[in-house]
Amino acid sequence: MPNSNESQCYFIQLQIDGYLDQELNEAQQLVFVSHVQACAVCASEFRYAQTVHDAVMELPQIDCMDSVLEPVYRSAAAESQTAEPRQRESLPSQLGAFLYGLPLYFRYGLSSAVVAVIALAVSFSVITPRDKPEQLVANESAEQYSAEDISRALEELNVAIDYLNQLSQRTEVMIGDRFLVSPIQDSINASFEKAMMRESDPLQNGPI
Amino acid sequence: MRALYQQAIDLYRQRVFSFAHYSLRVREDAEDVTQEVFIKLWQNWQKIDHEKLGAWLMRVAHNSVIDHVRKQRGQQDNLDKFAEVEEQVGEDFDESGRDQDSFKRHLQSAIKALDDPFRSIVIMRDIQGLSYEEIQGSLDLSTSQVKVYLHRARRKLRENTQLRQLFETQAADNSKATKPVLVAGSDKGNRHAK
Repeated sequence: MPNSNESQCYFIQLQIDGYLDQELNEAQQLVFVSHVQACAVCASEFRYAQTVHDAVMELPQIDCMDSVLEPVYRSAAAESQTAEPRQRESLPSQLGAFLYGLPLYFRYGLSSAVVAVIALAVSFSVITPRDKPEQLVANESAEQYSAEDISRALEELNVAIDYLNQLSQRTEVMIGDRFLVSPIQDSINASFEKAMMRESDPLQNGPI
Repeated sequence: MRALYQQAIDLYRQRVFSFAHYSLRVREDAEDVTQEVFIKLWQNWQKIDHEKLGAWLMRVAHNSVIDHVRKQRGQQDNLDKFAEVEEQVGEDFDESGRDQDSFKRHLQSAIKALDDPFRSIVIMRDIQGLSYEEIQGSLDLSTSQVKVYLHRARRKLRENTQLRQLFETQAADNSKATKPVLVAGSDKGNRHAK
């Protein structure tokens, strides 16, 4: 008899949480209530469980002070400020950022090589006469290039020269006194002067 | 985006701080955890599934609390000594008639002393009233696991000797006062989400 009571008490006590959470069905509730009302041990255990349960439920939700979150807002604001300009970066600044990320020797070498290649390409296209100018003259009539066309082409070339000047200045800043870019500039300027002179010569009147 | 972030903080700050506070019982640590959680929220804002934001925040808070508990263990001896003195002072004070507060203070210590995930589940379910689904999302457990752990956590809480002694002392003091043992279907303190 004590054994059956003990096992019954054991199962009833297992159901205490279910009863407190109202998860028992009606039949289970009836058995539970009738046992607890009759058994002093289970009644005591239930009262203790109920006290703990109610005390836990009554613990308040706690909020932090606003000052705790101030560093969070500051951090978010700082990150968004650094992130937004990055999205608006122009191509040259992106290129600059890329160059600054490279090793120093590679950066100098690469930038001076790029400048030299561009300068040589432009100067070759200006200075070097066509292999067969007579053919060009034959195929493309001289009237096709009016004075306006030539002046427009020269303007475009000036723009290109300005760009190269800026680029070379920037490179000079980057590389300091290690390389001299000005001779390249001089050669480009000289080539443009020659081109201007050739313009007056009808025999040399090429596409430019 | 900033406005939504602010809204999310307003919505969940109490939940996160409360969880950290009951887990660690040291206000400064709970504040650190809260800051960490919301900074991580900003950093991961684009990657998060915003329909499960609450569960994500509680998962981050849970991980952050675990890190703090590990750090605390390094200083455990000092903390234990401090806690003993604090509890003794508290008991002296309680004898003058603040039994209920004393019980709640011991209860909070008992909750903090539970191992994880028992501690987290008791806090989330019984103090914060989260649903089983929210808890399983936060702790990567199944619903049945959450229920089993909750049952064990409550049993472990009741096995706390200090808590039982306090209850028995109070019960002996109030033995003359009659209290209804069972209130079937009582809703007292039931903040559970189904």
